[in-house]
Amino acid sequence: MRRIAMAIATAGVIAGSLAGAQTATAASTNDITPPPAPIQHFPTPIIAALDCAGTTGWAGCGPGWIWRNGWRGPACYVC
Amino acid sequence: MKRIRLAVTIAGLMSAATIGAGAASADDYTTLLIDPNFVFDTVQYTGGAPTMNPGGQPGAARVFSHNDGRSITDTVWVLPDPAAATAAVTAAQTAAAIANPKTEPVQVGTGGTFISGTSADGSQSLGLLTFTQGNAASTIEFAGPANDPPDAALATDLGQAQVALIQSRMGG
Repeated sequence: MRRIAMAIATAGVIAGSLAGAQTATAASTNDITPPPAPIQHFPTPIIAALDCAGTTGWAGCGPGWIWRNGWRGPACYVC
Repeated sequence: MKRIRLAVTIAGLMSAATIGAGAASADDYTTLLIDPNFVFDTVQYTGGAPTMNPGGQPGAARVFSHNDGRSITDTVWVLPDPAAATAAVTAAQTAAAIANPKTEPVQVGTGGTFISGTSADGSQSLGLLTFTQGNAASTIEFAGPANDPPDAALATDLGQAQVALIQSRMGG
């Protein structure tokens, strides 16, 4: 019980300090011009299709597999 | 799902083979030949007439043609001893006309080896599985489209089923 009470009290102290932090920061930045935001260059996303058809395939094949006729007869084969 | 069916199929094959167990008769080595339709749970392959004593050695061979043109040729020889069986598969490997060959060991019988490559003109993909099982020597040849080569996993699945059939028929 004592441990639970201590934990709640600690959490309360931390929450209180965080709540005040934002206000303090806002006050301090009112007096200076903020630097320009840096231009961020994000890499071009690489999108890979899940299988040959870009879907999970038909006939129950999972991603990366496709249904076709091959050495094992009609079956799911790796793309 | 296909693997589960494959396991069930092999189990059924083993069961059927066990019922008819016993040494293969001297004039009927065709019972030693594995049918890819059973192994791969399909009906795409049509077996041709078996060849008796291929290459003048006691045994049998049969070509299974896939309905899209590819083929699997299964050969089993029953020789006097394991040394003769090893010599037979070595001779088969030497005689194989496979261009750009890649050789890799596979877990099939004794000395299981899979050689893959292409035909001389590059128009076909080729594969050759060789192994021995006691006195028996076996080769399984694959010929298919250049853009769909047979791989070691395929050869291993078929080869292990062939080993199981030889064991059930000949013992050991």
